[in-house]
Amino acid sequence: MTTEMKSQPVYWKSLEELRQDSRRTVSDRDEFAEPLPWKRASPVMPAADGHSRRDFLTLMGFTLGAAGCSRATTQHALPFVTAPEDLTPGVPNWYASTCGGCSTSCSVLVKVRDGRPIKIEGNAEAPLFGGGTCATGQATVLSLYDGARLKGPLWRGAPAAWQEIDERIESHLRATMARRGRVALLSGTITSPTTRDLIARWSQHYDRFQHVVHDPVSYAGIRRAHQTCFNRAVIPHYRFDRAAMIVGVEADFLGTWLSPVEFTAQYARRRRPAASMAHHVQFESTMTLTGANADVRHALAPSEIGRLVLSLLDRVEQRDRSRVDPPYSIPASALDAIANRLRSHRGESLVVCGVQDEAVQTIVAGLNDVLGNVGRTFGLSPSSLQKQGDEGEVAALIAAMRRGEIDALILYGVNPAYDHPDSDAFLEGLARVPLSVSFADRVDETAAHVHAVCPDHHYLEAWGDAEPVTGVFSLMQPAINPLFDTRAAPGSLLKWLGEPSNWRNELRSYWQRNLFPLQSAERDFDAFWDSRVQAGFLRVPVPPQPSPAFVGDLDAAVNRIREDAHAASRGADEYELHLYETVALRDGRNANNPWLQELPDPISRLTWGHGLAIAPAAADRLGVRDGEIVTLIADAHRVDVPIWRQPGQSANTVSIAFGYGRTHAGPVGNGVGVNAVPLLRQKSGRRSRVVRLEKTGRSTTLAATQTHHSTEGRPVVREATLKSFLGGVGEHGAAAESLPSLWAEHQPGSHTWGLAIDLNACTGCSACVVACQAENNVPVVGKEEVGRSREMHWIRIDRYYQGAEAAPDVLFQPVMCQHCANAPCETVCPVLATVHSADGINEQVYNRCIGTRYCENNCPYKVRRFNWFRYANNPRFDFNMNSALGTMVLNPDVVVRSRGVMEKCSLCVQRIQAGKTAAALSGKAIVDGQIQTACQQACPAKAIVFGDAQDPRSAFARLRQSPRHYHLLDELGTRPGVGYLTKIRNREA
Amino acid sequence: MLRVALIGTYVALFALVGVGVRALAEVGDHRGYRPAQPIEFSHRLHAGDTHIPCLYCHYGALRSPHAGIPAASVCMNCHGLLSRQTAEIEKLRESVLQVRPIEWVKVHNLPDFVHFDHSRHVHAGVACQNCHGAVEGMSRVEQRMPLTMGWCLNCHESRGVGDHGARTDCIRCHY
Repeated sequence: MTTEMKSQPVYWKSLEELRQDSRRTVSDRDEFAEPLPWKRASPVMPAADGHSRRDFLTLMGFTLGAAGCSRATTQHALPFVTAPEDLTPGVPNWYASTCGGCSTSCSVLVKVRDGRPIKIEGNAEAPLFGGGTCATGQATVLSLYDGARLKGPLWRGAPAAWQEIDERIESHLRATMARRGRVALLSGTITSPTTRDLIARWSQHYDRFQHVVHDPVSYAGIRRAHQTCFNRAVIPHYRFDRAAMIVGVEADFLGTWLSPVEFTAQYARRRRPAASMAHHVQFESTMTLTGANADVRHALAPSEIGRLVLSLLDRVEQRDRSRVDPPYSIPASALDAIANRLRSHRGESLVVCGVQDEAVQTIVAGLNDVLGNVGRTFGLSPSSLQKQGDEGEVAALIAAMRRGEIDALILYGVNPAYDHPDSDAFLEGLARVPLSVSFADRVDETAAHVHAVCPDHHYLEAWGDAEPVTGVFSLMQPAINPLFDTRAAPGSLLKWLGEPSNWRNELRSYWQRNLFPLQSAERDFDAFWDSRVQAGFLRVPVPPQPSPAFVGDLDAAVNRIREDAHAASRGADEYELHLYETVALRDGRNANNPWLQELPDPISRLTWGHGLAIAPAAADRLGVRDGEIVTLIADAHRVDVPIWRQPGQSANTVSIAFGYGRTHAGPVGNGVGVNAVPLLRQKSGRRSRVVRLEKTGRSTTLAATQTHHSTEGRPVVREATLKSFLGGVGEHGAAAESLPSLWAEHQPGSHTWGLAIDLNACTGCSACVVACQAENNVPVVGKEEVGRSREMHWIRIDRYYQGAEAAPDVLFQPVMCQHCANAPCETVCPVLATVHSADGINEQVYNRCIGTRYCENNCPYKVRRFNWFRYANNPRFDFNMNSALGTMVLNPDVVVRSRGVMEKCSLCVQRIQAGKTAAALSGKAIVDGQIQTACQQACPAKAIVFGDAQDPRSAFARLRQSPRHYHLLDELGTRPGVGYLTKIRNREA
Repeated sequence: MLRVALIGTYVALFALVGVGVRALAEVGDHRGYRPAQPIEFSHRLHAGDTHIPCLYCHYGALRSPHAGIPAASVCMNCHGLLSRQTAEIEKLRESVLQVRPIEWVKVHNLPDFVHFDHSRHVHAGVACQNCHGAVEGMSRVEQRMPLTMGWCLNCHESRGVGDHGARTDCIRCHY
């Protein structure tokens, strides 16, 4: 063992573990949480509950007799009446499309079996996004089969025919326009160029038409700042891969900010452990994914961010422009070091900020300009179109609605009654609008109050296009006929405009007029269209523009921030409030998706709900523990919320996630958590959001994973500093392979499959968890069962803290079945339901398993999952496996397990078999990279690599030779087929 | 008297166990299953007398795990042109006109936990008759082979399919 290993840092998973909480250590010592129900019939042979062996045999006798009388049920096969040309039952078709899970518009491929989309994968050939997806994107395939979706349009809450609704709406619009009333379209960010063109035609058609964009999480401050600083009202396109030094300020760019899939791919490329490895510093109020991955992280309150950016600007400019003190929580020396590092990487650094205060954004723009980053690590052309909301315009619209000035309102992809801070004002205004129409796919909080609901297609049923970044276009095509009587929202807009066309023709026409002429690869438009629909994207060269000069008024911004700093005050028992998005629920639009509700938050490990994140020290002062409910009293709103003590949380700041507390999402999402958005309402003129907490004395259970599974002090996660790694210290040799083994070696077959997981690339985003769930028909178990540690995810992302409670380091480790060559589970199965394949996979044979759970007990990695119930067709688990609609998402290549059967990661054996079949049918050998496990394919950072250890040229085999490579719990001699690569932090020590 | 009764009971018991064991051994073996089909399609006529290749209709066997039953449109390729009508062909035409699929009764059923891949076997040169019997002689399709796991493994062993270890990997078929 090296010196690195001897001075092992202590890793802890929860505060209870760190503080040696008495409740915690008891459960660590005792394996069984409750006493076993032995009823001693005799000192030698205990019998439970009075049953004896005689009863057992009697029962068995009955069943033995009954078994011989079984008859198989008749099975039917229903072929097509007319066979479609391109559909062979049993063979999937893939269609390129654009994800509609949020406005980021990542390019995806949709796997369709028998006319049903069953899996979303990233489109590796498309530009920008690197072929990965996020957890939300993976889950969107299930939201297609959501039973809460509307089956058809509604008029005043009752089902109506499209024709009737169209007539009513068209006549009302005609009348409104005749008397010069105001018509407004309130939408979310629309990246579709065809739709934006269509909306522009509405404006041309009628001059009192207005389009207002509402984003639940605003990015308008960035746009406004760039307008004043560079005369370009745009959100820049950021290039983290071009930055040697990244400073993030309250921007979770790896998790939820702007374009996380793209940024993760860029970030991972730049974070390879080499001399060119980027250095990342993060400033934030709560622990986020991005902060967890940073080399250096400082927690600070939201009110201190202004002073932070000013301090940085002073140090980078090396003049005392602002004359402010740096934030209390950050030592001046740390800021000096950061500023020096920034200056040493001129043109190769990037400062990003998620705070929407225009003055702060001006300073950040000034910083980037002084550092020479404009046009290098971020560009104003091309720019990002992924967030176009303007909260000022939305507020003005709501005011106009309340004054009765809006005569017709169309709501497209927004839910302001839920996610707008002034939802009450909005609803008041909505009641005064004579005609309100929503394109929502369900009767959500807003659609419950409108006249007409004209449900839009799900993106998997729809034609469409997107331009996430200027010059990059992607197409959306239907992968399934619309399941219900829905209609494409742009198609409705087209119809009501009075134009005789349909939406698909509109799309083609736009592309023919505007995009087809910009390329020369295809001369014929139909050939061009077919090739683009098949590929899914079109990249149009954007002529390089010279970087604009910086014309922002830094001094004015400095003065604004200084004023705010003076105005902000906080009482002794008050906390600053900070709202953020989680990777699972984001802004709450997918709250009815059970996969996302059950996805453990990477930081807090909470499922089916959230807590109020508070610093452990603050919680101690307040005298509250996890799960205790406090009343959060903000300016104009109060809400009861459970406490969650978050290590690394800024002292005196409390954070709560968006996306919860929905009332009209559907049976799965309703009532989960509390809605944090109304807390943003401001009655008084104070700028900072300050809240008080009051204990209620009540408690609730929070369903967190990873409170169980103890590492018992063994080094499961390993990390090293870049300096030591480059210096050759900290080599992890193949220590365990030299350990003697009781078992004979397996005879290898023609392949030896395995995984290599780069802990340095893994950001903890959990896209792999949802991808595995989608691919392998992993059931959802619900909050109660998660609370009993019975979540079924085959892959989990363990999160470890290291260091002090107030400012820990964080590490993520995806753990799945390690496919051990000397598997402890294989030796203890009494019926040989788990054995080792010649290909190196630890096999789980569901039909042999009788559910003794000895294998689960013996697994040191705790990766085996037991089906405690029949989760399919069981009303007790009314999620996605209890209805004909929900079961359409199931992967037919993977068995749905029954009660009493053990399951675990199979290395996506169905994909391996498909790869081998493809190779056999084509006569060519399997190429490295041809077979990808679901987790590997989903990962935006490409942290998981699957491959054949017997192929020395494969990426997997080469990773195994890396000095960073190690196995989990090597010393047990299990010889896992899954290996990990040590995380490297770009630090001195 | 008691002795006769006792011997009789023992004999009856043994007979019962023998029958029971035999019945248990045949669980899962559906040889002789010859269900009536919604249309009395005769393979003897089509595959036998007229020599239509199996893969003309069951083309899925070439490229998919499922051989599949042909869509009515495949039947109509010929029957749309032929003039000879029978009651059974009329049923086919009805199904096409009303766009209602024919509900064939599957004869060769494997349990859900078995993944059998037709394309691998066809590609390896295994004749259809190997597992399905002499279908070209059947006026109504009947299951001739046991299709039990042991029967499958016998063939794999005798032909030496795959490397030795892989031959009996459970996960080849059970996943």
